[in-house]
Amino acid sequence: MPKKKVLVAMSGGVDSSVTLSLLLDQGYECIGVTMKLWENKDPISNVVRNSNCNTVEAINGAKMVCDRLGVHHYTLDFMDVFKKNVVDDFSKEYLAGRTPNPCVRCNSIVKWETLLQQAHLFGLDYIATGHYARIHHEKDESYLLKGADILKDQSYMLWQINPDALKKTLLPLGEMTKSETREYAKSRGLETAQTPESMDLCFVNGNDYSKFLNEIMPEKMNSVKPGNIMDEAGEVVGEHTGFTNYTIGQRKGVGVAFPEPRYVKKINPIDNSIVIARKEAMYTDHCYASQLNWFIEPPTKEMVTFAQIRYNSKGSDATILKDGSNYRINFKDPQLAVTPGQSIVFYDNNKLIGGGIIEI
Amino acid sequence: MKKIYFDIAATTPVDPKVATLMSHVMTQTFGNPSSIHKFGQESHSVIERARLQLATALSCEPGEIIFTGGGSESNNLVLQGILKSGDHIITSTYEHPAILNVLEALQIKGLETTLINPTKNGVIDCSEVINAIQPNTKLISIMAVNNELGTINPIAQLSEIAAENSILFHTDAVQMFGKLPMDLSEIHIDFMSISAHKLYGPKGVGALYIRQGNILPAILHGGGQENNLRPGTENIPGIAGFGLAAELATQNIAPNIKNILELETRFLTGLAENGIEFTRHCNSHIPGLMNISFHDVKSNLLLMNLDMEGVAISAGSACSSGTLKASKVLLQIGVSEKLASESVRISLGKLHTKEDVDYTLQKISKLIPRLQNSSEINA
Repeated sequence: MPKKKVLVAMSGGVDSSVTLSLLLDQGYECIGVTMKLWENKDPISNVVRNSNCNTVEAINGAKMVCDRLGVHHYTLDFMDVFKKNVVDDFSKEYLAGRTPNPCVRCNSIVKWETLLQQAHLFGLDYIATGHYARIHHEKDESYLLKGADILKDQSYMLWQINPDALKKTLLPLGEMTKSETREYAKSRGLETAQTPESMDLCFVNGNDYSKFLNEIMPEKMNSVKPGNIMDEAGEVVGEHTGFTNYTIGQRKGVGVAFPEPRYVKKINPIDNSIVIARKEAMYTDHCYASQLNWFIEPPTKEMVTFAQIRYNSKGSDATILKDGSNYRINFKDPQLAVTPGQSIVFYDNNKLIGGGIIEI
Repeated sequence: MKKIYFDIAATTPVDPKVATLMSHVMTQTFGNPSSIHKFGQESHSVIERARLQLATALSCEPGEIIFTGGGSESNNLVLQGILKSGDHIITSTYEHPAILNVLEALQIKGLETTLINPTKNGVIDCSEVINAIQPNTKLISIMAVNNELGTINPIAQLSEIAAENSILFHTDAVQMFGKLPMDLSEIHIDFMSISAHKLYGPKGVGALYIRQGNILPAILHGGGQENNLRPGTENIPGIAGFGLAAELATQNIAPNIKNILELETRFLTGLAENGIEFTRHCNSHIPGLMNISFHDVKSNLLLMNLDMEGVAISAGSACSSGTLKASKVLLQIGVSEKLASESVRISLGKLHTKEDVDYTLQKISKLIPRLQNSSEINA
């Protein structure tokens, strides 16, 4: 039987390098690709700045590993798709006073949809990435399970992927722990064994998203003016520097002194205000979710689940209930700083059953 | 899997005879050519022998050749050495970046430039060059053969035009040397850049021809090697390799051209026989270089799919990280945006065989229908 062929997304880091090597061990024929998504250019000089997003070093790392393993590697230019679907949405959401999660959109639209098309154009059977999550196939259904390394699990970031896409996806790191991955890379002498973890938004230099927004849409950002900071009673207690500079749950840098710490509770672009509150007031027992993506039959009546409102948060038992085109989520344990625009992901134990965008 | 390299215009494999010589020189002739002792004398002789080989290949004097680090460096030595603020240069829009980007940098320092567009046949029109001449025109620099199209420019006429107007003439002949006969005793070229790796020699070695009597101010300063123009202890094995590669290329140029043209015809006939729809750009070119648009197939998609089948070709111009930019050159000669995005460069050389051509034909003929039916995502 001819070997099954896989398009492996190579970021130039240790995870995707090990993904490639494992798939070769398992008998697949592989092609490595690095997606060029963004160029971090200085707006004045137009010189490309170094950022985490597919730097030349990252591409070089991917190329070296592919070469060591005898695999073809290509750099594919997906900057248009990325700009249109990820960066533009990111900017729009911030202007609406929300806190988007661009990685989620990047995964579903760029890394899955676009890569699957590319695999098709190359005449390949699967795509693979180095995410720490597992895929389970059951009869006609495919869904995601949390990664075996519970500390590293990345399933939260993958909730928006089309369930059908999972049928053509391989995630070989799902069964590994991060330290096993590093050990493996070292034992195989892969050049990328020591690459540091990337944590920041890849396209935002130095994670300074405020500066980024100013560079990418200077006209629109010019209309974002200082405004009132209010307490929960509606009393003006200070002035903010522009609402896009704040995130729900933010404590530091709010610029208003109180004996007890205050947190950003609400961002309201309409009257250009932000509301701050004490920690106790930051908890909510419910929220809503829009743009849902289900890996099960969409629930029509109230369902008990486990909901997670951010990557690396503990989450809570919850019930979900359809509410118009959205869903309402009631948390058993009130959740801190529920942030509109972020992702809420539903689990049944280890099984990711669906997700959506938080609304309040 | 078979591995076929049809990207001879990008670079060539080193001829085994050249590699053997270089390896011998590298281990046996290590003395500093500037040293007085026997070791130095041996190295010095290796360099001068190579210079003689190049001079013979080009029908010029050995004293007119200096060795450099490659074609790009040769171009830089001429442009930066000759052109001063307030000077004017006439060149073309489809020169190599080692011309265009140098001029862009010099423009900031006050250089005036006129860039001439190639005609729809992919060549530079002499009358346009004449029309561009100004009182302060110091240099005309037009490439001998375009690297993407393979078209051949009227270097002899252009050099006469320059001479009649007391303007210096430079040509970047990197794509021509070794592929077509060249006789510098018959044309009045002032400066010419050439490179070893395009004619089965090593990378990192080139040469600059400087017509006797021309004075070229130095831009690099050091120990005085290569007539004060290219300081630094010489790359002895590289230079030796270049000398031999030039000798081999010119000795066998006629049979090589004949073989390559036969393979080219076999390939083009084969495509037509297999019912593949394509457009070959420009009518006349150097042997073996084909710029072809395969209808309804994006160039990079064909390139990558063919690469997975073991056949290497090129498309557009590759940047250092290996991504592709659409070919500006085709747009400049009036090819539609669609055809320009479908063009690939297939370049054959002296080592290729009928079997290589037939294998590639078979793979292309299988791939094209599949790719034509795939949806387009890489605009």
